[in-house]
Amino acid sequence: MTQERFISLVRAEQEPLRRFLLALCGGDAALADDIAQDALVRAYVASGSFLGLSKFSTWLFRIAYNCYIDHCRKAKTDDVPVEEALNIPSGDAADKSFRYQQLYRALKLLPQKEKAAISLFYFEDKSIKEISAILDIPQGTVKYQLSMGRTHLKEHIQL
Amino acid sequence: MKEIEDFLRENKPQVKEDPTFILAAQRRMDAVEGIKAEVDRQRSRGRIALVAALAAGLAIGVFATALAFLYPVDASSLHEGLWQGIRLFLDSWKSYLMIPVAILAILLGLVLSGGKSSLSRG
Repeated sequence: MTQERFISLVRAEQEPLRRFLLALCGGDAALADDIAQDALVRAYVASGSFLGLSKFSTWLFRIAYNCYIDHCRKAKTDDVPVEEALNIPSGDAADKSFRYQQLYRALKLLPQKEKAAISLFYFEDKSIKEISAILDIPQGTVKYQLSMGRTHLKEHIQL
Repeated sequence: MKEIEDFLRENKPQVKEDPTFILAAQRRMDAVEGIKAEVDRQRSRGRIALVAALAAGLAIGVFATALAFLYPVDASSLHEGLWQGIRLFLDSWKSYLMIPVAILAILLGLVLSGGKSSLSRG
């Protein structure tokens, strides 16, 4: 795959990819972008092995998720200040900012797999099959993670 | 559960538009290309050196084998020739052989007397 082709594919996926990592990083945009950059380099190096058996986005998200896991292992924690969420741009300023803060705080409390499944399903509109491929877990487990994630979020989000 | 699902769908995280994101990625990819090219260059150099060494070894081996077949040498005659050479050397230089023997005797005497004096000093 040429660099131009790779860049054109990435250009279409950059926003969902950054959003997915932003959710995983609990609203830390700088960290999310750093991991996204690492993921893109890893994907570019491995682009020769992309055979097109799955969607490019599925393949890229899987690499990004692995980069995130690697980062968590290195950092030994995925804790980031939730206050970062306050800096997220929003339409209805304060109210929306508060909801983001609430969301990120709740997401931070979820286990990695639940957080990833929730982010992919609700924020990226990925199918169960795609999430299963990205997280490398069976579809039944994805459904279980989603169910558990929803239950856990309900405990931490005031609606 | 419907409420939480609605909440999640309505509050998707928003990423700031960053036009430098792709440019930064492109710069990293260019750097990766540079490293890849250097690694390939080193590999090809190593491969060339290996092939050259193999070719040189093969050529020298073939040459030595051919030489051995074309000009065979009797090993026993080589042996006799060596003893013959040593004998001739000793024969022609026998008049001067006493000089190194005398020098060695003087040196030995000096060393031994030095050793004795150091012992007497204690």
